[in-house]
Amino acid sequence: MIIADANNPFIQFPCSAKFSIGFLGLFHVAVASLSIGFAFVVTVLQITGYFRKDNQFEALAKRVQLWHVCIYNIGTINAIGLVFALSGLYPQFWSQIFTQFFWTMIIEEVLFFMLATTLTFHYFFWDTMWGHKKLHIFMGALLTPMFFMQFFIINGMSSYMLTPAFAKGQVSLWSGTAGILGWDKLAFYNPSFLMLTLHRTAANFAYGGFVVAAICGVWLYRSKQSKLQTSYENGGRLAFKVAFTAFLALPIIGFFYAWVLKYHAKETYDNLMIGRGDVVAGGIDWWWVKQLIVASMLGMGLVFSRRASKSKNEFSVSMPAVYTVALLYLMFYLGMAVQMTWRFFWGSLLAAVFAGMWARHLLNRHKGSGRAVFVLMGIFSFLTVCLGGYVREASRPRFVSPSGERIAGFNRIPNYSKVYHPKERPESVKMRMVIETPSYVDELPSRRKPLEPERQTGEDLVSSLCISCHTLERLHRYKGSDWDRVVGRMRAYGRRLTEKQTHKIITYLAESKAHKNSSNSQADTPSAP
Amino acid sequence: MDLPVIETPVFPRWVWIEEITYSHIPIATIITAFMLLAPLFEYIGMRRGDLRWERLSKSFIWFSLILFSPGAALGTGIPMFIMGTYPEFWSRWANLFFWPLIAQFMFFLAEVFFLFFMYYLTWDRWANRKRLHISMGICAAACGYLVQVVWDSLGSYMLTPGGVPLPEVDQPVAWSLAAMLNPSFPFLLAHRTFGNFSYVLLLTGGVFALRYMSQKRKNPSSENTSYFRWASSTCFTIGFFCFFPMPIIGWFYARVIQREAPAAFMALMGGHTSFHFIFKMSLIVVFLVIGGMFVVKRWGRKAIAWATTAGLLIVLTVIYVHPPLMWIGRSALAWRLVSTAVILGLIGWIWICRRKDNTDHRGWQWAMFVAGLAAFFTFTLGGFVRERSKSPDTVYGEIVKPELTDQEADRYLVYTKWLKPRKEIPADLDRNRPEDWRHEVQQARRDGLELTEEEAERIIGYLEAHHR
Repeated sequence: MIIADANNPFIQFPCSAKFSIGFLGLFHVAVASLSIGFAFVVTVLQITGYFRKDNQFEALAKRVQLWHVCIYNIGTINAIGLVFALSGLYPQFWSQIFTQFFWTMIIEEVLFFMLATTLTFHYFFWDTMWGHKKLHIFMGALLTPMFFMQFFIINGMSSYMLTPAFAKGQVSLWSGTAGILGWDKLAFYNPSFLMLTLHRTAANFAYGGFVVAAICGVWLYRSKQSKLQTSYENGGRLAFKVAFTAFLALPIIGFFYAWVLKYHAKETYDNLMIGRGDVVAGGIDWWWVKQLIVASMLGMGLVFSRRASKSKNEFSVSMPAVYTVALLYLMFYLGMAVQMTWRFFWGSLLAAVFAGMWARHLLNRHKGSGRAVFVLMGIFSFLTVCLGGYVREASRPRFVSPSGERIAGFNRIPNYSKVYHPKERPESVKMRMVIETPSYVDELPSRRKPLEPERQTGEDLVSSLCISCHTLERLHRYKGSDWDRVVGRMRAYGRRLTEKQTHKIITYLAESKAHKNSSNSQADTPSAP
Repeated sequence: MDLPVIETPVFPRWVWIEEITYSHIPIATIITAFMLLAPLFEYIGMRRGDLRWERLSKSFIWFSLILFSPGAALGTGIPMFIMGTYPEFWSRWANLFFWPLIAQFMFFLAEVFFLFFMYYLTWDRWANRKRLHISMGICAAACGYLVQVVWDSLGSYMLTPGGVPLPEVDQPVAWSLAAMLNPSFPFLLAHRTFGNFSYVLLLTGGVFALRYMSQKRKNPSSENTSYFRWASSTCFTIGFFCFFPMPIIGWFYARVIQREAPAAFMALMGGHTSFHFIFKMSLIVVFLVIGGMFVVKRWGRKAIAWATTAGLLIVLTVIYVHPPLMWIGRSALAWRLVSTAVILGLIGWIWICRRKDNTDHRGWQWAMFVAGLAAFFTFTLGGFVRERSKSPDTVYGEIVKPELTDQEADRYLVYTKWLKPRKEIPADLDRNRPEDWRHEVQQARRDGLELTEEEAERIIGYLEAHHR
């Protein structure tokens, strides 16, 4: 007897499956990112304390590490919940992507265990290892690279979901780049992998640092002893410095990340920048909201850093660096205004100015203590992490198949908009494990292998050689038709080309440009009434 | 959707699964047992005003916290490894038990909250609010135990599905009460609960005994020395007596397996995993003998002697009423006589030598440690035997592992189509071995045994190859 057979044939999650996965996923990301940041900040605090022979940093590090141990376990269990939810709600997607990335996930699991053990030993044997401080600090310092290696693997999988590029669905599942099932190098090192990893790296340092500073801020509010207050103020400033430095790197990485998305996940890019698709399904453009919060953080951080650099307090951030990056931020927002709308630019500017004024007021009110700014930056940072993860997931194209159709056996990721509704859930999805490779695998589109030089066309040469120095966008944008001179210049710059290759490239570029121009002129011609 | 079978290096896939699972389960069970015992011991300490109980309780929780993160990380590894190597099984199984898995996750989350934030971090802060503190410990223990309840339910379903089919992924079920309350669930849960208490405390007692030995060497009159002496004998004794409900529960459990999963039962009783089962029983004898001698000598009380005698008589009774144990040796009578002689001999020794004796010398400490290790390996072997008994099925009668070999398939056929209808066990294949298996099978078919021609040929082939 199966109770659910009666009138509940499909798994329904409260507030929809999408919400539950989103909630669990963001909860996990928020906690796991915090762990990475905590690990780094604890090491910084320990090293600072060791070199200065100042126990206040050591004590603070231990206290933060205790919280780290506690939240780390919450994050771990949350990950288990996420895995269970994905297995039940999206069995097709989850089984397939897990099989595709099996070996990387196993390595991730090994790292996970090593990390958990190291973290546990680092905290619970803190006093036992007092006489071996360098070893203890080294053990703590190991946590950061281990965390990064772990999330490096997760990034491979999650960036693949956004930019599968050369390794779509079943091809990746059945082949594996090195002939090993469960390991597809091309799928793992997909186009947005590097940018996502860099972006998350800096963001995690920033987030962890801001939250540690926020915790110090809360302790500052609660503490009555002046000695403890000094300790928390210094700890908060140190964490803030680490966080704000990492935060300043984000727009630069973000710019390149967006650039990759533009060419490898156009719909996502459009959804984020100018679209009103998934991201604004609820009538709110969450990406905008995130950017407004970031602008507020910048304004607040600028005012705090300026005040810190003038005061006698330690751990100020170099102001020329801050102003330089602030200028980059401004350029970024200006660029966004040109692409999107000027309202976005003015809104961001207003948010930054308002937040800066608020920070100034709070600093004055607390007689130079950063407690309120620390707490606010921690909250803002948390919001940006959640919103960042959300918009990235929500901006993804609804259909994976290039044509937007559902093709049996090729649905790498289920149809996100429909899977939540019982009637429209893909029917007859059977899962079967097979030892022998099915015959249809031979008919799957194979990965393109590099052609022999003699057989390469002009198009092949352009896409394989030109792109090694610059994007193809530059070719499309070029207005002239003197391709022989352009290619000659490239050779002068160092591009090695045979005469035959040069000829093929020039011919291809001239022909394709001419073809494009004629298409454009036809499109511009008014049609007959 | 077809999914490829990912092959693992060095060992077959099932060995890896076993390895990962057995790296997690001992940790998880130690944590659960300690969490259940800690508030109880803290309460005893509060009532008696004895700080040793408080110290013991706190050390349990401290050790649980050390084990918690690595244990949880390994626990995450189990579903991840299964998802990659057995995606079909996992997807269908997670489909049937979606809500229990989510509930388990919520209990787990609550367990962390209570254990870390409300119990451990508040230990000193709430020193004057003991009842509140203990109640938080109880909440943590309850959540931890509920996690175990869910997993025992889901695990027992794999051995005794109780007629609830494993649904395909396009038939989302989400949860089934019948599957959760499957026939072997209450017995597995009870068996594991007492098993956890027993092996964890015997092992802890053994480890504390070694610590006592080292403390005694450093400073015989220190507070630590007397604490570890007390802690080792207390833990060991409680663990020893927690064992005695196990044979009774185990007997019922075996009966359920016999009825619901006959092929698995045969695998245990003389079949392909009987060696492991015998080894497990031998380990039980080791800690039973050492434990019985220790508790009698250590305490020297009449009540302890009576309790031990009662426990041993329970074991003896189960040996007598347990038909499956007839596979040891060729003669049931010989087996019963030997086991009776051993147990009655032990009981006799207890009553003859029942006076308090010095158990402080090193030999006893090492013996306790050995008994603890034997209990630990008994426990791990128990899980191994249970899982292996249903091979090649992943869920008994519902899904077979994809790398099924012909030999495994034929063996399964012999269990279900040859032995079961004839009410025999695998040991009978050798005990009553005929001259010619072909003639024997054909005769059985003429006598009414339902077998197709192909099945008969496969059975004959297997029997001639392995029981000639």
